[in-house]
Amino acid sequence: MFQFLVDVLMRACDLMLVAIGMSAVYSLMKFPNIALVQYAATGGVLAIALQKAGVPVGVAIIFAVVLTGLLAVILNEFLFNRMLKIGSSTAMIGSLAVSMVFSAAFLVTVGPNPSRFALPVSRPIRILDARITEPQLLGFAIVAAAIGIFAFLYFRTDLGRCMRATSTNEVLADATGIDTGRMKTIIVLISGVMAALGGVAIALKGEVDSQVGMDLLLPVFASAILGGLGNPFGAIAGALLISAAETVVTAVNFGPLMGEVAAFLPVAYASAISFLLLVAALLWRPRGLFVSEVKRV
Amino acid sequence: MKSILLSGVFVLGLSMAAYAQEAVIGAILPLSGSSATQGEDQRRGMELALEKINAGGGVLGHPLKIVTEDSGGRTATALDAAKKLVTVDKVPVILGEFSSGITIPIAQYLLQQGRAHINIGSSSTQIRTLGKGAFSVIGLDDVSGTFAAQDVFADGARKVAVIAPNNAYGQGIANAFAAKFKALGGAITSTVLYTEGQTTYRRELQQLGAGAPDLYVYTAYGKESATINRESFELGLNDKKWYGLYLTMCTADSDPQYVEGQIGMDLNYIGGNGADYQKAYEAKYKGGFTSTFNGFAYDGVMLVAAAINKANSLDPQKIETAIAEIGKSYEGATGPIVLDADGQRGAQPYLRLKIESGKAIATQ
Amino acid sequence: MSDFIIHVTIMSGFYALLALSLNLQAGFGGLMNFGQIALFACGTYGAAIAFHFDFGAISGFVLAMFAAALLGWAFASFGRNLQADYWGIVTLALAEVIRIVTTNEDWLTGGAQGIGGIPPLYPGLDSQARQIAILVTVLALVVAAGLLCRHLIGGRYGLSIRMMREEPQLAASLGYDTIALKRQLMAASSVLAAVSGFLFAHYVSFVGPEQIDSSETFLIWAMIVVGGLGNNAGAIVGAFLLQFAFAFIPFVKDWIGPPTEYVAAGRLFLTGGGLIAFILFRQSGIVPERVGGRRYV
Repeated sequence: MFQFLVDVLMRACDLMLVAIGMSAVYSLMKFPNIALVQYAATGGVLAIALQKAGVPVGVAIIFAVVLTGLLAVILNEFLFNRMLKIGSSTAMIGSLAVSMVFSAAFLVTVGPNPSRFALPVSRPIRILDARITEPQLLGFAIVAAAIGIFAFLYFRTDLGRCMRATSTNEVLADATGIDTGRMKTIIVLISGVMAALGGVAIALKGEVDSQVGMDLLLPVFASAILGGLGNPFGAIAGALLISAAETVVTAVNFGPLMGEVAAFLPVAYASAISFLLLVAALLWRPRGLFVSEVKRV
Repeated sequence: MKSILLSGVFVLGLSMAAYAQEAVIGAILPLSGSSATQGEDQRRGMELALEKINAGGGVLGHPLKIVTEDSGGRTATALDAAKKLVTVDKVPVILGEFSSGITIPIAQYLLQQGRAHINIGSSSTQIRTLGKGAFSVIGLDDVSGTFAAQDVFADGARKVAVIAPNNAYGQGIANAFAAKFKALGGAITSTVLYTEGQTTYRRELQQLGAGAPDLYVYTAYGKESATINRESFELGLNDKKWYGLYLTMCTADSDPQYVEGQIGMDLNYIGGNGADYQKAYEAKYKGGFTSTFNGFAYDGVMLVAAAINKANSLDPQKIETAIAEIGKSYEGATGPIVLDADGQRGAQPYLRLKIESGKAIATQ
Repeated sequence: MSDFIIHVTIMSGFYALLALSLNLQAGFGGLMNFGQIALFACGTYGAAIAFHFDFGAISGFVLAMFAAALLGWAFASFGRNLQADYWGIVTLALAEVIRIVTTNEDWLTGGAQGIGGIPPLYPGLDSQARQIAILVTVLALVVAAGLLCRHLIGGRYGLSIRMMREEPQLAASLGYDTIALKRQLMAASSVLAAVSGFLFAHYVSFVGPEQIDSSETFLIWAMIVVGGLGNNAGAIVGAFLLQFAFAFIPFVKDWIGPPTEYVAAGRLFLTGGGLIAFILFRQSGIVPERVGGRRYV
């Protein structure tokens, strides 16, 4: 039972930070930015590469995450803003194109094989009936810390208030004297950093390869949409929900029903479930399960 | 005008004659992609065979030539390669590939085109049903399944869980093992076929562990094998024994700490007459065998050359008949090759192995 | 070499049919279909399943057309109130679910292994003549489809489709049933995609789930954007251009000598980079959409 909870939490942590990033930036940009999941991959890949180059793990992670955030800002400034002027559908296709270029870059630099942090091999720790390794615990800690810091920033600081105002109603925020241009840049930076941290957490728990970004795309969309686009903390609940659905689907043992010791649904159907939940969310609750700041879906 | 025409026909006739007499065969190997290590090793075996054949005068009095194409580990690319070999290079026989999921479609295509096919690396039982003109110099999994089932049963396990890739190879070997193991009186708690290309197999491994088996039987290759070995360690599943089918293939890409103590079976890749071949390999490539598959590629090429000489022709039908004839009893580097009525290798010797300090040691 | 060029031309023809189909949906109808490859799959798997169960090629064709029309109709029926980009995500998710089911249900589709040994077109001819015959057939089909699309879009139907795309509320107020229009358009273009798939299956002789990955849909999108959204000739031009460019990447690789991963990376880079370039600098594509200027009834 506890192993089940640990699994749900682990999968949710994979999705959470990236979904928060997507939700936070959506309300600003008004189009689903497919390249965001590639920022997650970049964060993980870059941190591993830096560690391989000799940088200590902690420093490598910080550098990788900050660099990715800056990359997000640059891409936004020079590409996505211009595409958005043409139309949101065009911007979506443009973000798709950008993510293809990212994939090409990964294949060329890292290659098709997965890469891992160079951490010492340690036996897993037993907590109740679950097994966790130290790097996985570290991944949890990073996710929890990131969410905590972001929550503090978003709800307790002046900057956070300005960000919330800009996300909700840009024109009005501008009228009250908030520098919306600067806010937008900050929000894009934070979403890039969150996504990259998410990628680092995934890399710590196991491995990343050139496909990890695109594999995250639909589940992250599902989490963000279920939680309500524009509501970053709803995305946490969305991620937990998607993760629980995926884990339940493959953990239920139909064996006793069929007269065998163990019979399960194929693991690939776990992703199918999250995709179907995404479709269901878009069809019946496009505003999300929680309060959404976004009127248009 | 007439002289130009005449000389044209003359040149054409000469080149056609020369072309028709050059002995060219084809090969499709995974020189890139997840099985690149094995593919390159297969190429080495072929190269050694080529050198030996041409040093002895070639086939039909001409040097033998092998046109090798890279499948990239993808079926579509392999089929393109097969099309090219058939239509552009006009080869009568093609050897390859490594992965059953690729070998089967190309063999089907080649048989449709009336060419012969030699399987040098795949073991799916589906290969048996391909039809006339498809041969294997490597034992299929109905043979390996029996060996493994007996080995596991003798080890004392009565309830086992099986994990294998979700493709023709994995399905074939999992079914073959399960059938033989049940026939001996054992039980399979669950079989999981994993999808290739994922970065994590935690869910699959947890499904596997749910039945509380005595022992885990697994087979995997490429990066997936590394991931599976690592995650089974992290999930604590290797408290029980792990038995690898084609153990060296399963552990080639894994960190030694994760596979310590695993047992399994593998191909006996060198036969009584293979000592010369082994010496030649070690001399040319400055080191021991990098995989268990080079010998089969070597035997494949040697068999085809012998068949071409016996048939005294490059006609695919005649070569097929000659292969069947020679295959009744052929001494290869990998041991005695006897092709049964389906053109498949009847007897395939295997080894029992155990991983100690990162190396596969043959046990009794 | 000429065999190779014939082969690339035939493949371009298949993609041209797919591009024409997607162009009808996205270029003319404004329907951002990211699940196009699922419609193609109806064609390929229709042929493969009919072969596997010995139904015969004609039944396979009927099965393929029927399945495609049904699926297209279903796509159009989902999410009538969704904005274009979100509907696109729904189609992407549904196409992925179809691919997952295809990979796992071996009894029907051959699973991850696929179905091989599908008999070729024109079995009576020898291989040289057969290639020429297939080439002529495919090119004739492309021309016929192009003319059909032009006819479809040139008349009042085309006007109503374009109005539905640009001013949906105006179209509704004029009495056009926009949902019915969408369904008809999707059904018609799906059948075109399935025709391409059916012939593809018989040409390549093998059908497998890796052929229906979402990245293939993205490739077709690149073809229609580069060629020119909303223009039939543009769709054909885009298809041929990209397909030929891809076919020659391996040759470039042989000259320069980088490893084989660079081929896949080269394709992605070409597709993504080409898309970005055309979106930013030549939004109308190589062959721009002509507004007005054709005779309308």
